[in-house]
Amino acid sequence: MHEKSITIALAGNPNSGKTTIFNNITGTRQKVGNWPGVTVEKKEGLISKYGYDLKIVDLPGTYSLTPFSIEEIIARDFVLEESPDVVIDIIDASNLERSLYLATQLREIDCRVIFALNMADVARTKGTKIDAEKLSELLDLPVVFTVGNKNEGIDTLLTKAIELAGSTAEIQQKRKVKYSKDIENAIIKLQDFIENKVKAKLAYNLRWTAIKLLENDKIVTERILLKAGDKRNDLLQEVQALRAHLMDRFNDDPEIVMTDERYGFIAGIIKKTLTSSSQNRVDISRNIDFFLTHRYLGFPVFILFIWAMFQLTFSVGAYPMEWIDRVVTLFAIGMNNLLPDSVLKELIVNGIIPGVGSVIIFLPNILILFFCIAIFEDTGYMARAAFLMDRIMHVIGLHGKSFIPMLMGFGCNVPAVVAARTLESEKDRILTILITPFMSCSAKLPIYIVLAGAFFSAKAGTVIFAVYLVGIIISVVSGRLFRTTLLKGADAPFVMELPPYRAPMISSLLIHMWDRGKIFLKKIGGVILVGSIVIWVLSAFPANIRYSLDYASEIVRVEALYEAEITAAGKSERDVIEKKKDMAIAKLIMARRAEKTEKSFMGKIGKSIAPLFAPLGIDWRGSVALLTGVVAKEIVVSSMGILYAVEKEPDALQSALVKSNMTPLSAFSMMLFVLLYLPCIATMGTIWRETGAFKWMLFSILYSTSLAWIVCFCVYQGGKIIGIN
Amino acid sequence: MKQIHNQEKQQFEKLFKQELVDNFEDRFKILDVFLKTERHVTIGELVQILEDKEFHFEPDFVRDTIKLMCRFGFAQANKFDNGLVRYEHRHLCQHHDHMICTKCRRIIEFNDKRLELLQVQIAENHDFHMLQHKMEIYGICSQCLKERKQTIPLVMAKQGEQLVIKDFTGNTAARMRLLSMGLKIGDTIDVITNIGKGPVVIAIDCNRYVLGRGLSQKILCCPV
Repeated sequence: MHEKSITIALAGNPNSGKTTIFNNITGTRQKVGNWPGVTVEKKEGLISKYGYDLKIVDLPGTYSLTPFSIEEIIARDFVLEESPDVVIDIIDASNLERSLYLATQLREIDCRVIFALNMADVARTKGTKIDAEKLSELLDLPVVFTVGNKNEGIDTLLTKAIELAGSTAEIQQKRKVKYSKDIENAIIKLQDFIENKVKAKLAYNLRWTAIKLLENDKIVTERILLKAGDKRNDLLQEVQALRAHLMDRFNDDPEIVMTDERYGFIAGIIKKTLTSSSQNRVDISRNIDFFLTHRYLGFPVFILFIWAMFQLTFSVGAYPMEWIDRVVTLFAIGMNNLLPDSVLKELIVNGIIPGVGSVIIFLPNILILFFCIAIFEDTGYMARAAFLMDRIMHVIGLHGKSFIPMLMGFGCNVPAVVAARTLESEKDRILTILITPFMSCSAKLPIYIVLAGAFFSAKAGTVIFAVYLVGIIISVVSGRLFRTTLLKGADAPFVMELPPYRAPMISSLLIHMWDRGKIFLKKIGGVILVGSIVIWVLSAFPANIRYSLDYASEIVRVEALYEAEITAAGKSERDVIEKKKDMAIAKLIMARRAEKTEKSFMGKIGKSIAPLFAPLGIDWRGSVALLTGVVAKEIVVSSMGILYAVEKEPDALQSALVKSNMTPLSAFSMMLFVLLYLPCIATMGTIWRETGAFKWMLFSILYSTSLAWIVCFCVYQGGKIIGIN
Repeated sequence: MKQIHNQEKQQFEKLFKQELVDNFEDRFKILDVFLKTERHVTIGELVQILEDKEFHFEPDFVRDTIKLMCRFGFAQANKFDNGLVRYEHRHLCQHHDHMICTKCRRIIEFNDKRLELLQVQIAENHDFHMLQHKMEIYGICSQCLKERKQTIPLVMAKQGEQLVIKDFTGNTAARMRLLSMGLKIGDTIDVITNIGKGPVVIAIDCNRYVLGRGLSQKILCCPV
């Protein structure tokens, strides 16, 4: 136990190298969670250094503390409400002016700030030199040079942070932005009014509060008005009067004027601290962009990258998949031999192992997919993809930014829905969230592989591609439909930075990938484990079934029959008869299992919902499998495995499917149903949290499921009429 | 007076359509009311007058429209002694036989005997005894016309062009967003990509931004 713990928050612009520094400080000791109330990822790291417990909090990357997006609200609220001991503002040295804008805002809230001038080496090659001492003096705060990807300056940064946290020096007023006379007067007037008339105890610094009220900051205004009690209307009137006065004075909104003046203040600082040689700057990113966002080349290159990502995910992923499959099989055999016969053994061998096992083999795919997505993100290509897709997304009435969540939807819908938070307009966000589940997630792929493999063998790849395509088309059509009906609205202003290209750091890619992997493993340990147990219970009970045939005695009879034959037969024929015997017995065991499933709870549920699925060409076993897919789509395959009663041998499920009443048409119909029907529980929960409304989750469920039914009905019945079967 | 208003409206329509200004009908209503006020008004007052006539607009939008009119030379901002910014429409100042540039207020004097004669004849034809007359031609002078063409919305910029940001129109939130991302009036920008209906990519120093077409409409620039 150390004597003191210090909370350090990392703030900074997007792409300022904040995450790299965070990774450098905390290494793998990271905790990824959510910020309370919202699903923006919260990264925390606990380390011990110099006799202190340091809690490092990575704030979302923001350009300002003016609350435009959820990220900005979170970053600001953390600094305001949690009052971290020190805020480290990570500044991209080659982008000083813009970075200082956030810095001046941080400075206005009374908190202890340190500047980390990051990537100063890059800035130097671009011909800029920063006088750190002068900067430190002008703003009255410590400035440390760091190079995130080389791990330079991190120790100095932490030492300074600890030093600053311990200091008791008052934060000096004169170092803050001073506005022009009219605004300063308005601030003083409002300060007086709050102090003398409203007399409410405020949580925040008085000057800052006055500035925010004048800036018409909706969130702060609301909070202050709540505190003002019966003086509420007076305060509101005062603020409006002062705003109106400034508006007439400057012929512009006070917030714009104040922003301009902040930039004026920054320009003064830059003049004194920054020397920029006018040597010809080489901008490599611009040259790369010439190709990657080229009028004609850009799009094919993008398609190539996406294709490569899927290739890598599924072809390279196939090898570790096979290894995991072998381990699972070995484990199952081992358990089968080790455990004494009991219900518990049944549960483990027939329920948990096949259920969890059929899902865990997708771990390599998930890891590779997210590794690729991390590469896209860390190199800066993701923003280019959004740019390239902007025109296409406009068909739906969305920006290119919405494409990122949709692309991630091919991996897993949960992070995809979360990724929609980068969209500023709420309507855009909801719209994107509603159409993302139609992007066929990787969990659905095994289902397609099994079905397409069984019924379309040679053309399986094409059929699966067609299913993906249908998903994309449906999402576009749905998006267009929602945009013109439910979520009408003008396009929000679209502005996005194209970050400079950077070589990704392996460690950060691995950390990113591992975060996703952990989520997947947790899902396996949680929902999928429970789901497997529930399905097994439903299919194994009731235990005492009246079979149409006394299988046990039938097996004994058959055995005796063949035994007699074997003893009668000659030596050469024995092996053949032995095989015949095994096959006959296996057939009986299979028949018993099938009948058992049919008469189990699961069978009963399946039979009762079967009429709903009959017009789609899906039998009761398919219906049950689909039902279980609600827990997680991965389960559909494992429950088909249990329901179609197959021995653990390669392609057994596929041959069992062919032997059942399924036809290629009904298999295709089932694939479409899997593609379109309601998302898994985890996604539904995420939709609820992200949209903040139960009704949108309900809408998503009803819309997708009814759409799935209608599409499959049309396909199956239509197909039957024109004679495909 | 009514005659002049109609002319201004037509010019307004023609110009705005040329410059691809959005919300044309609403802006038209504001112009209409504005032209009917024969005094100097602040934005607040104008919003109030509009309210009285049952037109409800956001002050932001009214301000934006009036600023547009200033840009095209239909209106002018004045700061009087009390510091409030008031707007007037340009034909308030009246002159004799003049051509008045509504943008830079340059007055070009002219005298044409044929015109003088024609006026006398017209008056005579109506049995009208003329005491005096005023003749004013309102428009935009050749110099302003040259300059105005130079200020273009970003969407109309060509790939590879270098421009300086002159002004933002559009609502406060969008402007604040651009400001906080480091796009300011006076910044020099390079137009990297501007293809068809796609978004516009610009660069300031080594930072590149993608701007939607709607937003690019609202960034006014002129060549360096």
